[in-house]
Amino acid sequence: MAAVEQIGGRAAAPRAPFWTVTRLRVAAVLVIFALWEVAGASGLFYRGVIPSSALVAKAFAGLLGSADFWFHAGVTGFEVLVAFAIGGLAGAAFGLLLGVNRYTGAVLEPFLHYLAPTPKIVFLPILLILFGVGVGSKISLGAISCFFPMALSVAAGVRQVNPVFLRVSRTFNLTRAQTVRMVYVPALVPPLASGLRIGLGVAIVGCLMSEIKLSRMGLGFSAMEYYRVFDIPSMLAVLIFIFLCAALGNMAIDRFVRLPGPQDRVRRAR
Amino acid sequence: MTPALSIQNVAKTFSTAQGDVRALDHVSIDIRAGEFVSVIGPSGCGKSTLMNIVGGLVDDYEGEVHLDGALVRGCQKQIGVVFQEESTFPWRTAIDNVAFPMEAAGLPREARMARARELLELVGLNGFENRFPSELSGGMRQRIAIARTLAFQPRILLMDEPFAALDEQTRLLLGDKVLQIQQELNQTTLLITHNIAEAVQLSDRVLIMSFRPGRIKRVIDIDLPRPRSSKLMGGEKFGQYVAAIWEDLREEASKGLQDMERVRAGA
Repeated sequence: MAAVEQIGGRAAAPRAPFWTVTRLRVAAVLVIFALWEVAGASGLFYRGVIPSSALVAKAFAGLLGSADFWFHAGVTGFEVLVAFAIGGLAGAAFGLLLGVNRYTGAVLEPFLHYLAPTPKIVFLPILLILFGVGVGSKISLGAISCFFPMALSVAAGVRQVNPVFLRVSRTFNLTRAQTVRMVYVPALVPPLASGLRIGLGVAIVGCLMSEIKLSRMGLGFSAMEYYRVFDIPSMLAVLIFIFLCAALGNMAIDRFVRLPGPQDRVRRAR
Repeated sequence: MTPALSIQNVAKTFSTAQGDVRALDHVSIDIRAGEFVSVIGPSGCGKSTLMNIVGGLVDDYEGEVHLDGALVRGCQKQIGVVFQEESTFPWRTAIDNVAFPMEAAGLPREARMARARELLELVGLNGFENRFPSELSGGMRQRIAIARTLAFQPRILLMDEPFAALDEQTRLLLGDKVLQIQQELNQTTLLITHNIAEAVQLSDRVLIMSFRPGRIKRVIDIDLPRPRSSKLMGGEKFGQYVAAIWEDLREEASKGLQDMERVRAGA
């Protein structure tokens, strides 16, 4: 009884309303599909630019069955993962350095702030010279893209660790290592997760963009090839595949890089 | 008899851009074992500085702090601190918050959980062991912080305006809880506050501090029977104590207010 009162108003309502969140979500997807079909059939657009979803689905199934597609997907997947790992680790390390050391932070952070939103694709010519036209230039562009949001969120996270938590640790005589493990690490999980999410997004963008610009393999290249021969359903299928992979990556980050909270107990109770 | 906590001639000067500011000026306080002492003063009287010194968070000061007759400096396990700010860890459940210092001290899991459960019961939070702070009220979170501080049965419980962020009614009820804990554990306590009623409700002695530089201006013994509760507030004696404290505090508080207005006008 008391427990229910304490969570205050968050107890389940007696009857679920018709427009629950889940139903609305399903409805939103259906509406988008319908609009797509209507737009395609309307004749307002150049023939074939908006193929019916059945055609796209068929192309998608075709892609999944082709060894060629999986080769390109493998190349891009490899590039993104390596770029994400390098950029993420370097960004997190650099962010820690900036956050912990006030002077490095004061000196370097303005550069970081203004470089971060600058499109990294401008580095591509240099990277092509440095790392060649193969996966090297793609990985390096992805890693550079990922580095900035990671560094900025981790640096901000370190500085925003609640100072009272550090005082509590001092009064309980925690060692430096214990303070890092029991206070800093958990306090840094939320900024780390948001850095990872943005970092993954821009790493994918960096790799794909450089594939589109100059490449003979990868999903970016593959999508451009379909565009060139005007196989729009297959091109869309590639894009949908990329979109799904990115969404899955973000879901994985949400699922694994987070702190325990009330939602865990709710899940366990069910 | 040796006092449990003895603060001897403690002084502290801060250097600022505008010159040196004497925050504390030769403050001496002796607290007997089991005694509940409040330090009350206006904003800017150095009471937070005093609390930081006794809590060990400030190291460079003049004077000495003795615990059971032994000179101490820096953070002590024997001095438990409850802070004014929200200090529960949002990623830990109530019981894991209370177990935090025991975990750091390397107590085995079962032992620290059993002790944490006892402490939660002491502060009246049994049944809320697995709640996260975000699911609890401010008063409940502050009780978790108190329970966490009591984990190692500190010789001295040092509380820095622990109820400042709470509403008046919650504050009174929490005061009752503190009285009950104090009664049960015979806990020696030093409370820093700016709330007169709270000081009278809880304390055996109230020390009134002067505005900058902070000195002990007057000591008032609160001769009210124990066990007490917030019902005391209706009594005639309670009112007299409140009035007596305000009498002394009024002058200091208006000095503080004037100073603050002068700073604002200058800025």
